[in-house]
Amino acid sequence: MNSTHHSLDYVRKDLPVNFKKIGLILSVVGLILVIAAYYSDPVRSAFNNLVFLMLLTSIGLGAMFLVAIEYIGGAVWSTPFRRIAEFLAAVLILVPIAAIPVYLNLHDLYHWTHTDVVAADKILSSKSPYLNESFMLIRIALFMAIWLIFYKIITGNSKKQDESKDQNLTTKNIKISAIFMPFFALTITFAAIDWMMSLEPHWFSTIYGVYYFSGTVLAGLAAVTFLAVYLNEKGLLVKGLKSDNYYSLGALLFAFTNFWAYIAFSQYMLIWYANLPEETFWYLARWGGNWKFVTLGLLVVHFIVPYFGLLSQPSKMDPKRLKFMSLWILFAHLYDIYWLVMPTFSKESFVFGWIEAGFLSLAVGLILLIFNYKASRENVVAIGDPKLIRGINFRL
Amino acid sequence: MSEKVLYALTGLFETPDQIIDAAEKTSDGGYKKYDVNTPYPLHGMNQAMKLPPSKLGYAALVFGLSGTVSALALMYWMAVIDYAHVIGGKPYFPLPAFVPVMFEVTVLSAAIATVFTMLFVVFKFPNNSHPLHDTEYMKSVSRDKYGICILAEDEKFDENGTLKFLEELGATNITHQYFTEDSYATWWSVLDKKFAGILAVTAIATSLVVYIGLNKVLYMQPFSWMMEQEKLNPQKGSVLFADGFSMRNPVQGTIARGDLPYEYAVDPEGASKLVNPLPITEANLQLGKVKYDIYCSPCHGFMGEGDSRLRGQFPNPPSLHSEKVRDWTDGRIYHVIAMGQNVMPSYSSQLSRNEKWATILYVRALQRSLNAKESDLQ
Amino acid sequence: MSTVDYSQELSVVEGRPSLRELDDLISKPLESKPDKKFFIAISFTGLMLLTGITALGASFIYGTGLWGNNNPVGWGFPIVNFVFWVGIGHAGTLISAILFLFRQKWRTGIARFAEGMTIFAVITAAMFPLIHTGRPWLPLYLAPYPNQHSIWPNFISPLLWDVFAVSTYFIVSLIFWYVGLIPDLAVLRDKAGTKVKKTIYSIFSLGWRFSNRHWQHYEMMYLILAGFATPLVLSVHTIVSYDFAVSIMPGWHATIFPPYFVAGAVFSGFAMVQNVLIFIRKIFNYEHIITLKVLENMNKIILLTGSLVGYAYAMEFFIAWYSGVQAEQFTFINRAFGPYAWAYWIMISCNVISPQLFWFKKIRTSIPIMFVLGVLVNVGMWFERFVITVTSLSRDYLPSSWAYYTPTITDFGILIGSFGLFFTLLLIFTKTLPVISIAEVKAVVDGAQPTHKDH
Repeated sequence: MNSTHHSLDYVRKDLPVNFKKIGLILSVVGLILVIAAYYSDPVRSAFNNLVFLMLLTSIGLGAMFLVAIEYIGGAVWSTPFRRIAEFLAAVLILVPIAAIPVYLNLHDLYHWTHTDVVAADKILSSKSPYLNESFMLIRIALFMAIWLIFYKIITGNSKKQDESKDQNLTTKNIKISAIFMPFFALTITFAAIDWMMSLEPHWFSTIYGVYYFSGTVLAGLAAVTFLAVYLNEKGLLVKGLKSDNYYSLGALLFAFTNFWAYIAFSQYMLIWYANLPEETFWYLARWGGNWKFVTLGLLVVHFIVPYFGLLSQPSKMDPKRLKFMSLWILFAHLYDIYWLVMPTFSKESFVFGWIEAGFLSLAVGLILLIFNYKASRENVVAIGDPKLIRGINFRL
Repeated sequence: MSEKVLYALTGLFETPDQIIDAAEKTSDGGYKKYDVNTPYPLHGMNQAMKLPPSKLGYAALVFGLSGTVSALALMYWMAVIDYAHVIGGKPYFPLPAFVPVMFEVTVLSAAIATVFTMLFVVFKFPNNSHPLHDTEYMKSVSRDKYGICILAEDEKFDENGTLKFLEELGATNITHQYFTEDSYATWWSVLDKKFAGILAVTAIATSLVVYIGLNKVLYMQPFSWMMEQEKLNPQKGSVLFADGFSMRNPVQGTIARGDLPYEYAVDPEGASKLVNPLPITEANLQLGKVKYDIYCSPCHGFMGEGDSRLRGQFPNPPSLHSEKVRDWTDGRIYHVIAMGQNVMPSYSSQLSRNEKWATILYVRALQRSLNAKESDLQ
Repeated sequence: MSTVDYSQELSVVEGRPSLRELDDLISKPLESKPDKKFFIAISFTGLMLLTGITALGASFIYGTGLWGNNNPVGWGFPIVNFVFWVGIGHAGTLISAILFLFRQKWRTGIARFAEGMTIFAVITAAMFPLIHTGRPWLPLYLAPYPNQHSIWPNFISPLLWDVFAVSTYFIVSLIFWYVGLIPDLAVLRDKAGTKVKKTIYSIFSLGWRFSNRHWQHYEMMYLILAGFATPLVLSVHTIVSYDFAVSIMPGWHATIFPPYFVAGAVFSGFAMVQNVLIFIRKIFNYEHIITLKVLENMNKIILLTGSLVGYAYAMEFFIAWYSGVQAEQFTFINRAFGPYAWAYWIMISCNVISPQLFWFKKIRTSIPIMFVLGVLVNVGMWFERFVITVTSLSRDYLPSSWAYYTPTITDFGILIGSFGLFFTLLLIFTKTLPVISIAEVKAVVDGAQPTHKDH
């Protein structure tokens, strides 16, 4: 029986070599496959590129949201893990790069970019003040700028605190995080509408932004959870972290799994019940051919498995279970994005081949590399944060 | 009064740290039947007392899931099996629409079951006759003291040794707690005069309220307004007409427009003489088919073989292909349609004269389809 | 910049009162005779209740023609009031369940009171669908029991889901509340002066004896109940929103309705709780338990949910335009600039604009201003339901059947009566039961928990 920690026990270490090695291999393999893919099937690659872009955005923005919400809510349990979320938010830097090929292939992806089609379609032409290429470009550039600016400021303050231990930096970040929230809500909504909802430009759903938000938070949270457990097991985090510290991560994963199901069900239920053809076609497209199985699979993968996997109290703290479930949830989120995007590309049946694998490999590789890069230059724990000790001592 | 029996030794502590320490030492000391009483739950007490984790979660899970399943089964039976009908163009079994009720029933049954399991099964409440009740000890621990209570029935308990043990722990106000055998409630406690009296009064009062509510109050205004309507019910006299009837007979010697009285109501053989006035045209046969399918087929079947979906639920409707029916004249069939026969009612209010004749044409066509004459082939 | 020390946990209860002082303070209103102010207050609310009873009585005798409901606006005040009151109820469960799961300790002092408000609000709310049926004495037809008509209720109707949702919510809230009261009733039992009181408290405290073998299960049960109450509270207003959103009525059929209604419900509920607590803490001297910090936190949640509601308004407007559906576009233009524009702009200014003042700490911590803003929120949220219900119905697909809805004096009488019922129940509650959870507050006083040890 040892008593409360009053001092920090943190030694900076590099991440295991494998971390970087795997990241590098996956990136290189992915990059080669992606380039080959663009040569062999540019349309399919463009759609995959969109999935890839959305995955990176989800993880980066989800992690960013977690950082901000910790400041606003004044949570202490998450302080020992906050730096992990900050590193993952650095994925946002990749988002503009991942978006470039999407812009070069706008015509393959978005029906509404064809002026002749829009001119012939009354509904689409009524939407053209919003859905046009130049406005979309401006919007998205603005969104990315907002994300990166807030990322820079918030993580910058947090990093400064490692040295200065200045409590005012926490106060400052609380305020900035609060300001970030309305921007976050609006940008994520319109990014989701622009990038994914407008793939079917006739379709509309007011809840779409919230739906994507629920997935984003899950993705960010799952990535943080996996890395938190992994790094703590390798002894790279501060000493004294126990399974109690994981509890809230598990609980939040569980909560957001339910939240996602709630939002997804609400959207489905309202469209199914009202049965208006201008809305139902979107679901019918996901029920045609063997997409039916993908849709049913989504229910299992994204809700049933994580729900029962994290239902009991001990399972929310068990490192093994958390590592498995967080990877599973990341996969579920990818599955979800795929389900949102790909039916527009392939109406008859779902497709999976080396092109999809290439983009996935590149995404995972890049995330690992950027995390490794950040970890090699900064502390993996926010050692200057005044809440850290309370966070380490957090017990249920 | 029966004899006093020692129930337990109790001691009090002042601070949470002391009681945690005391609980730890007591459980380490091998005591099994002891309890710690504190005004609020203390963090770390479960570990100190080495209590196994609470299993209430299982009760919640089991009752919750059985709630889900029974709600689904209930709705399925009601909306799909017992009274299936289409509502709003939805299928008989609209799973998404059942989800809200399934969810609510799950939560309801889980919540009630968890609390009831805890209170009545685990705690065995209500229990106001517990030996510790109304003692100074209880009055202290309910407010600001932290108490420990070692039961006399514990194997390690020995009055002096345990007393000393408590003193060593630093407990104050060490007290012997007694109980009397008859203070325990038993099943025959329900015969207690007071209890039985209250029970009887409650029962009578409830019955009265329910009786008066359902049988008297709901028959008063305004609740009764749906029953008291400005219409004439059977066996009720009209105040409008002198003879007390609500309906008038037609004026003698008149008939309604478009109506032809049927002369052979009691004379089926007379009706045989009637001749079908309709020519056999496609339009007439088509009309006959439409009417036949609507009014005749539910019993006689689409082919007239008496094989409809009602077979087995009524006296079986006869086949229209029997020799008897085939030999009937059109007029004889007309009589059956107009007046009914056996369980078959009259179809005069559903079918006009022409429609009846058209139906007969169609019946003839059906009969010929099964019993064609050789001449038909030519 | 700031003087907050983030490395220290803030005290939930200020001034470190002794446990005995807390008992006495919280049970004082129950042990003293009500004073003059109480009688003035309760006669005022009683008068309001009487107004409502009169209006309702008249409706029963002369029929619902006394109301302003017309064709096409069949859902007038009764449904507006129903949604409003169900919404008020949501804050209680949010505080007692969701904030509990998030381990927000500041909820401790206000949870009991907010739960009580939930129950009274749901009672008030449940009255409206019943009277809207026109024959409120036949509610049993809503239940699936083998009846003389030999038909079953329509499980496909969201109105029936409401029956299940609201009754489940009421029962679960009541259980939650009662279970929380058991230890407090046991304290009162041991403190009781008269024999009658002691008997009553003994019966209802069921023989609770503060055993740690019980506390362990009790805490587990509380966690489980909170775990069930959280999705339940979301589901209730979600299902209320389904009443509107499953239809194809323009302005009602929006997929964002479920989360938007929940946010709105929490928004108005918190405003109501905040308003009432301002009085309670003053009158009963609970300022060190229901601290200014608690009120500030509540105002933050009002700001958050108010912004969420604003987001939903914006999304509705944007998607109505984006959808290209003419009827949808018309509905929203009509809301903002049509005959009910006044109601719409009251809603926008009270729900979206004025709560934004809570961004400033000065305003968040000023009691008079927060009170006014809280009242405005409830005005705005009432008008939100009015706007949703009435504007869509009064201008639906068929222009020949458009009609303006004007509530009658009876409608207002019933509305006033609903406030009377709610506040009368609340006043009775403050004098009969501890409005702050004694056991829970004791557990979060500084020094009440053992110094931490790792095992």
